[in-house]
Amino acid sequence: MRRFGSRVVVDDVTFDVGRSEIVALLGPNGAGKTTTLRMLAGLIAPTSGTVVIDGVPLTRATGALLRSRIGFLTEAPGLWDRLTVRENLQVYAGLYGLTNHGPVIDRVLDLFELTDRGATRAAELSKGMRQKVALARALLHEPRILLLDEPTSGLDPEITRSVRALLDERRAAGCSILVSTHNLDEAERLADRVAVLQGRLLALDSPASLRQRLRTGRVLVRLAGDPTAHVDLARRFDPEASMDGDTIVLRLAHPERETPALISLLAADNAPIVEVRQEVPLLEDVYLHLVGEKP
Amino acid sequence: MPVEGRRISDGSRRLGGVPNVAAALGCPWGPAASGKKMASQLLRIRALVGKELLDLARNRTALVPVMLVTILTLAMAFFIAIVVPSMTGHALSEDTELLKLSRLIGAHGTLSDDGQIELFFFQQFLMLFLVIPVTGAMALASHSVVGEKQARTLEPLLATPITTLELLVAKVLGALLPTLAISLAGLVLYFAGIAVFGESGVLRAMASARTAALVLLVAPAAALVSLQSAIVISSRVNDPRTAQQFGVMIIIPLSALLIAQFMGTVWLSATALALIGLGLAGLWILLTLFSVAIFERESILTRWR
Repeated sequence: MRRFGSRVVVDDVTFDVGRSEIVALLGPNGAGKTTTLRMLAGLIAPTSGTVVIDGVPLTRATGALLRSRIGFLTEAPGLWDRLTVRENLQVYAGLYGLTNHGPVIDRVLDLFELTDRGATRAAELSKGMRQKVALARALLHEPRILLLDEPTSGLDPEITRSVRALLDERRAAGCSILVSTHNLDEAERLADRVAVLQGRLLALDSPASLRQRLRTGRVLVRLAGDPTAHVDLARRFDPEASMDGDTIVLRLAHPERETPALISLLAADNAPIVEVRQEVPLLEDVYLHLVGEKP
Repeated sequence: MPVEGRRISDGSRRLGGVPNVAAALGCPWGPAASGKKMASQLLRIRALVGKELLDLARNRTALVPVMLVTILTLAMAFFIAIVVPSMTGHALSEDTELLKLSRLIGAHGTLSDDGQIELFFFQQFLMLFLVIPVTGAMALASHSVVGEKQARTLEPLLATPITTLELLVAKVLGALLPTLAISLAGLVLYFAGIAVFGESGVLRAMASARTAALVLLVAPAAALVSLQSAIVISSRVNDPRTAQQFGVMIIIPLSALLIAQFMGTVWLSATALALIGLGLAGLWILLTLFSVAIFERESILTRWR
């Protein structure tokens, strides 16, 4: 739990991030995502509760040691404007205790396609470029733990794609990655699990499992023509089955078990079936449902 | 009762172990081993001091006030001791009260009366000359922590393994080193000016234990105390303008001491100066510990806007 004055910002938040796992932290503005990341990064302490990294509780005494294992991308890139890209990275290489850091910096510059920008002052970079440099800085010391606050914010689709590919690659290399994002599509594509936060942890599960939670059991059968002649068959499964244009809409208690039987029955009745689709909610629907807004 | 908590792990449980992340990943450039804690500390301080110096080098106008103050103080000493007497045609020694006052610092038998007064002036201005540039550097130090916060560069910096002590020492050194470099350059000019324009024997008389105590002890120690005080202020306020205004207050006791010296009310011997220098050095250590104790990472990150 973390309190600022009398205001409780996050409470009852317990989760872990395993090796080779990406967890996406979702939540509306003010939900406590940045506070949670800051607590994990050792920048602020929980009012109660503990942060454990590699089995070591994060305390004032262990803070410096544990911070050396973490790559933290802050909400703002936070580059020193008068220094060049390379100089910014050189300072951080020194702060992370890297000696002979020239090859490391060359490698991350190359990784983010920033090699030709090494001598450019940070002040002259675009927002997307600054974000790339900040990401390069977070990866400089090859951390096994990555805490990323909206890593693709402000990036164009091409760079966004390369950042996602990079995170995939880091996951494959064994990193534990926690990503805060407002981008639900990104969470769905990237994350092994999604944590929905709104002051407290509302849900923590894989995107597929989360979607399952909001499954309505609605099945839509589209026919090539008027479905009136066949809708009575559907009503054997759901007395309230209805028609919507050329589609029969019904709700099944057990769609996986009942749908094949329904299709067989309709086929036997020579119904011209074009498409049978089970309505699956989007992660966005689940998210909005969880944070208390109608999907 | 369930424990609220947040756990992030890679699956390994190396209790108390000191990991070498890059080495574990097979990287030859890995962080220094834990046994080299001191080397790592120095590396971090050096990295941040390097950043401060680079930043200043790219923003040279920030040093202009320090340079101007140094040049003005330098010029003022020669203006009063050399230019005014030659312009007015009245030798310094014609002022008997001044001659009497100048003998407070100890009569130098080999010096003429004019030389004795010049020595008095140059000794007095030396203190002013060595300490005044620090007031300019304090503006840099006052801005150092709150400036990082305003530029939003403090959070990624605090997320590194750097400790509060390392951060504050690096910030002080970042302001101190350019100031000392400017003071040193000014000192060379000062003594060169005395050699060229001063009475015969004044330069030799300046090469005293008192001068050594001033140059080697009092000036750096006063600079450290002033800059550390400015850092303390910088890490407790949320606006650079406030920091700067508080910083100005630090020069009040310094000015009182300088004025008292000029009036002859206080004359500090070499031993007294050495003791003051050591006292200031001790005070700097205490101030450093105090500034570490009151540096609140959380407040700076979460409450400052």
